[in-house]
Amino acid sequence: MTSRFIPKRPLFGQEARLGLYLTAPVILIMGVLVILPLILTVVESFYRVEQMKQGIPFIGFKNYANLMLDKDVLKSWNNTFIYVVIAVAIETLGGLGAALVLNKVKIGRRWLLAVVVLPWCLPPVVNAIIWLWIYNPSYGLLNALLRSVGLISESHVWFNDRFTGLLLVAVVHAWRMLPLTAIILLAALQSIPANLYEAARLDGASAWRQFWLITLPLISGGLAISLSQSTVFAFNLFDEAWILNGSSIGTRSLMVQVYMSAFQNMKFSLGMALSIMAMIASLIVSAIYVLRVYKETRFD
Amino acid sequence: MRRLGFYAALGILILWSIGPVYWALVTSVTPPNALVSDILRLWPEQMTFEHYAKLFGATSTSQGNEVQSVWPQFSQAFFNSLLTAFAATVLTVLIAAFGGWAFVRLRFPGRDLIFVVIVGTLGVPAYTVMIPLYRIMISAGLVDTYTGVVLIYVSAFLPLALWLMRSVYQAMPLSLEEAAWLDGASKLYTLVRIVLPLAGPGLVATAILTFLSAWGQFMVPLVFSPTLDTKPLTVLIPEFVTRNYVDYGLMNAAGIVAIVPPVLLVIFLNRFLVQGLMAGASK
Repeated sequence: MTSRFIPKRPLFGQEARLGLYLTAPVILIMGVLVILPLILTVVESFYRVEQMKQGIPFIGFKNYANLMLDKDVLKSWNNTFIYVVIAVAIETLGGLGAALVLNKVKIGRRWLLAVVVLPWCLPPVVNAIIWLWIYNPSYGLLNALLRSVGLISESHVWFNDRFTGLLLVAVVHAWRMLPLTAIILLAALQSIPANLYEAARLDGASAWRQFWLITLPLISGGLAISLSQSTVFAFNLFDEAWILNGSSIGTRSLMVQVYMSAFQNMKFSLGMALSIMAMIASLIVSAIYVLRVYKETRFD
Repeated sequence: MRRLGFYAALGILILWSIGPVYWALVTSVTPPNALVSDILRLWPEQMTFEHYAKLFGATSTSQGNEVQSVWPQFSQAFFNSLLTAFAATVLTVLIAAFGGWAFVRLRFPGRDLIFVVIVGTLGVPAYTVMIPLYRIMISAGLVDTYTGVVLIYVSAFLPLALWLMRSVYQAMPLSLEEAAWLDGASKLYTLVRIVLPLAGPGLVATAILTFLSAWGQFMVPLVFSPTLDTKPLTVLIPEFVTRNYVDYGLMNAAGIVAIVPPVLLVIFLNRFLVQGLMAGASK
């Protein structure tokens, strides 16, 4: 009887409604274009989804089992692991060196930073084309430079050797991604209080000891972030391998393999299963770094 | 001695960073016959713009023969790159500017969970979602349309943009907004008139990062932009290779043209760019 006179309360308060309105585009776009496809990828990796075949029968782990036995797939795993090791090593050591230099520079640091971040800003495809010409077997800069300093006597066809090919692709990737590591580590370096170094100098610690005892432990957080970033990006290496050496098995990365399975051979579900395995692997590896760096450098 | 080591390191860093770009520039102005000579020159004896003329000219010659001009393709792809990158940037920044603020300042059900899930998708590689996305886009009729490509870009760059904008708003004092609310201003009015102007540098940083990512995209348009209707430069330029004769002068000239927008951003807005990278990477 009385309930009729109670005004109907809206489901959410005014603030909550505004919040939902403002984030609705985010939820809609991410939901339809990322979350839904992600779920579909997981589900359909257990089915056989192929352009050329009728029907989508449930096949359980068969896609995954096929991937474990496929020679090309195994080789592309192998290639990707080599890419990760080389790229992460170059990016971390080079990025640390660059950050130390940037931190020392007093005059014109802004412009030096601009120069250093430049490779990261360029389209990866253009980077790869620039390096493709440098690596050119007949007229490339790399051969010319090595010949002029006498390191090699005749020109090399670099991509004839599998490991050299992997190294050269990884160098191009590292050239692009190194600035990110440098910037992350520079931010970490700038947060170290200067009086720590003064105290160490008063105690007579050498520059080398200062680096090991002060700098490295205090930038370990930044190192963990940059290591996991480098790893995830190197796992997803595609553009450089594709432009420099196409689908050649010697330098084929996992993502190239996924692209070929899905969009060239039209075996969608096989590609999906492989992309899930790659994602899980890259997340596990980067999680290991974060945990290890965190454990080893924590002071109690 | 230590100073010498420092300057050597500085020199190597500069050479490593811009050396390859410089070499592409040199190649793009070197005559074809000098490109295939054995002598290493750091600047061509005779500078030429013929590779650029091939890109921009109405007619084109290759090895003495008249061939079809690449200008119609090149200009269309340049326009496609600009349009998709620009539209993706505007949309992403707009959505992140309002959404990011809501995630920081407003209380609504599921707020933290939604934010974590969305930022968590940064760890999902593009290919894990691209295969089903391809079929979704086909059934929606959005393959090879500006709308389709731009929407995918927005979904790819929104998580980082939200993350950046959230950290910008978190660093702002709440007292400013509270003062406006006490004066009777609505929350939305406060956001538009007081908060957004103060967030200018953060918005610019987010816009630059988004634009650069969209401009450089290759995997997404390779699948979703099969024809010149929407094909960007990054997909067109490598196609110059697949012809029987690889014209490195032309490719380097095209590459130099394609890096003009990013280089301009780095020269004129590097402060915002570095700020954005630092904010995006740390925390």
